[in-house]
Amino acid sequence: MASSQKIDEWIKEAEGRPESALLILRLIASRLNDLTERNEELLSENIALQDGSQVEQYRKRIATLEYQLELLKRRFGPDGVLTAETLPGTAGPQLLSMLVYHARGMIIRLQAGLQELSSPAALGQIKGELFPAGESPRLLAVAPEEELLLLFSSGRVSTCRVEQIPAMETGGTWTWEQASLPDEPHGGELLAALLPLTTLPLSDFFVQVSRRGCIKKTMTSLAETVLSNHHLGRGALQKADQPCEAILCRKKDRLALVTYEGRLLGLDVDDLTYSTEERIRLEPHDHVVAAFTVAPDQSLLCLTDNGKVIHRDGAVLEPAKSVHTRGQALIPPARLEQGTRFIGAAALRETDGVLVLEAGGRLTLHACRDLIGSGRLPESGPVLAFCVVPAIFEESRP
Amino acid sequence: MSLKVGLDFGTSNSGVAVYDGRQVRLLPIDRKNVLPEVVRTVLYITRDYHCSIGQEAIELYYRHNVNRQRHYVKQWAGEIDYSGADLHYVRDVYVYVDELKPGRLMQYLKTALRKSAPGGYEGTQIFERFYSTSELVQVYLGLLKRRAEQLLGEPIRAVTLGRPVQFSSLPEQDRRAEQNLRQAALAAGFEKVDFELEPVAAALDYEQSILGPQNVVIYDFGGGTLDIAVMRLGDPNGRKVYASGGVDIAGSDFDRAIIEKRMLPHFGLGQVHHQPGILELIQSVPDWMALPDLATPQNRSMLDKAIHAGLAPVRLKALQALIYNDMAFTFYNRVESAKIALSSQGAALISLEDRDIPLWELYTRSQFELDIQDFQARVEKVLLDTLAASGLEPGSVDAVVKTGGSSNIPLFTSMLKRLFGAEKVKESNPFSSVVAGLAIRAGM
Repeated sequence: MASSQKIDEWIKEAEGRPESALLILRLIASRLNDLTERNEELLSENIALQDGSQVEQYRKRIATLEYQLELLKRRFGPDGVLTAETLPGTAGPQLLSMLVYHARGMIIRLQAGLQELSSPAALGQIKGELFPAGESPRLLAVAPEEELLLLFSSGRVSTCRVEQIPAMETGGTWTWEQASLPDEPHGGELLAALLPLTTLPLSDFFVQVSRRGCIKKTMTSLAETVLSNHHLGRGALQKADQPCEAILCRKKDRLALVTYEGRLLGLDVDDLTYSTEERIRLEPHDHVVAAFTVAPDQSLLCLTDNGKVIHRDGAVLEPAKSVHTRGQALIPPARLEQGTRFIGAAALRETDGVLVLEAGGRLTLHACRDLIGSGRLPESGPVLAFCVVPAIFEESRP
Repeated sequence: MSLKVGLDFGTSNSGVAVYDGRQVRLLPIDRKNVLPEVVRTVLYITRDYHCSIGQEAIELYYRHNVNRQRHYVKQWAGEIDYSGADLHYVRDVYVYVDELKPGRLMQYLKTALRKSAPGGYEGTQIFERFYSTSELVQVYLGLLKRRAEQLLGEPIRAVTLGRPVQFSSLPEQDRRAEQNLRQAALAAGFEKVDFELEPVAAALDYEQSILGPQNVVIYDFGGGTLDIAVMRLGDPNGRKVYASGGVDIAGSDFDRAIIEKRMLPHFGLGQVHHQPGILELIQSVPDWMALPDLATPQNRSMLDKAIHAGLAPVRLKALQALIYNDMAFTFYNRVESAKIALSSQGAALISLEDRDIPLWELYTRSQFELDIQDFQARVEKVLLDTLAASGLEPGSVDAVVKTGGSSNIPLFTSMLKRLFGAEKVKESNPFSSVVAGLAIRAGM
């Protein structure tokens, strides 16, 4: 605001004290410079509005918001009423899609009605090569309406709807030739993880964990950029390292890392850095096998390669204060010497189910409470992978 | 022997010093401050009643508050009895309370002390607890004492506190203010408390530098009051106070004048006319401590509606940002910095970097002098009255010693030079001469 009255007052000051004139001139010149820059910015914005490029940006933004709304609608129903029953992880879908995927990007999708599933249940068998890229296959149980984020070892990402993957009936045998390939890994790439996306609008961060214990978080407000650029980043410091898990987290969540040699580390998501940082000190031959968030009412379940179940209360997960810590040991040294190793871990409740892939290719489903009770998988050989199916064995179900 | 210190509890700044019989040691009481021996008289109390003072308090306030989230909840505050001709009913009163408010920053504790008469300012509610003015001062003095003890490495038992010549022109209020300050100091852990007038303390400091007897006018012009003492110093027969006087005009009044006369148009004054609610918000801008409490959803909605209706949108957006981004304290500091800069240069800039506050005001010394000329007239009158009460003529005064931050304002320096002669006006350290004198007094 430079009214003529003010300008007169500045002139009066300069006339009364000539030594002030230079300072006044400098301040006005600096202001003029700032205003010129601002004017150019506004003119550029004006041009962008007139030629439509700004409109295009707004359209993209609207499209992203609509996309997020659609994800929410799919999750919570078209009326969009958010109730305790519809909160993520508490509602069991009517149909369950069980995904078996491996590092070369192949995905087998089995679909079953929830009411058909019981514990224990043999769901079928995968025949042929189970380690096509030298890596164990991995499992994921989701609702058919889910949207998946495919994270590759190069840091590239793409999305795919579960419904786009052809579903197969349970109870049969399958080979990888029958699997679909929604996005083929580029040269030198491996499929690192699948991440269900419907909770994206309710989450604060993407958290990536690498095999060597590096962690990086990215704000979900950047999801639009991440998805449009198809790049989330590797989240690993060493060239030989690669991402192994991606999770959507809220600010106050607590993250658990479990390693092959039985180390457990708790971390507060709020304390994680946006840059990639090594958060657990691992032995040279150790690596992270699972990373997940633990709610206060959840417990930890770790599965060894010979089918033994190690169950711990969620309270054992103390957040680590030190940047470099080795974590708590869950496998006793004697067992470790005998060759016992973890193939995975997860946070779960008693009403959850556990989907297991055995080394022979057999896919089985077990009620979590049964596993905790017996302490091991029934009639099981070596185990390759497992995942949790939330809330499918509620008390009301047979 | 128990340790006794001099403590200057100022309106804007405070300090602590000790005297060993030969020299005064000013304690570096606020290492985070540009001048470590000066600590800002601000107190920050968090929701969990953690208290901090000085620069630490300001930093915490910024860290906790600027651009923070708010969540207002309606709380029952009390009842109001309505009585009409044949009607009497009771109505509940509710207030909106920001339950995410992390803490309260308080300034001008000394001014609050001055106004702490029954029916006046008795204290304030901080979250669940009511703090009387005396308790707030106690907390501040307690923290200051603890810092001083850490620096000295031994407990402090006694203190000589400075006090203005007049806390208030009303004797009852003046007595009560001193009583409250004494109680606060005792409660803060000082076992023995005595007082010395601030200009007399400044005179004791000045006396160290003179060789013979002099008639001296001490002109102590700080953040809250102007205190004047006419004294005989350096006389072998002892010091003599001929007269003392004061007036509650000082730095904070000048800041307020700048805001009222120059800043309010930036926030909509002159462009908003028939919106009493908004005008009330604009008029609250000079009182930065009240602004955070105005950040209610109702006020935001009122401002949003006016902006949407095109009523001075840029100015009201700036007002909204000032209130809701907790920029008031920053704004007030910018105004104060510009005022201080004008003591040494002809022009200064008052601006804020906030995206929504396009504040840029080139403020010159002549504008400032115009804005405070009424105060200058009153100050001159008090000075001449005090001099007249002393029985001395300006010609028989040997030196005029000026101290306090506001004494550097060229308008007042010119006035002193005009009344007494340029060669008689002596500079002293504006922030430490009072505390140094208090330490000397404590060591006597």
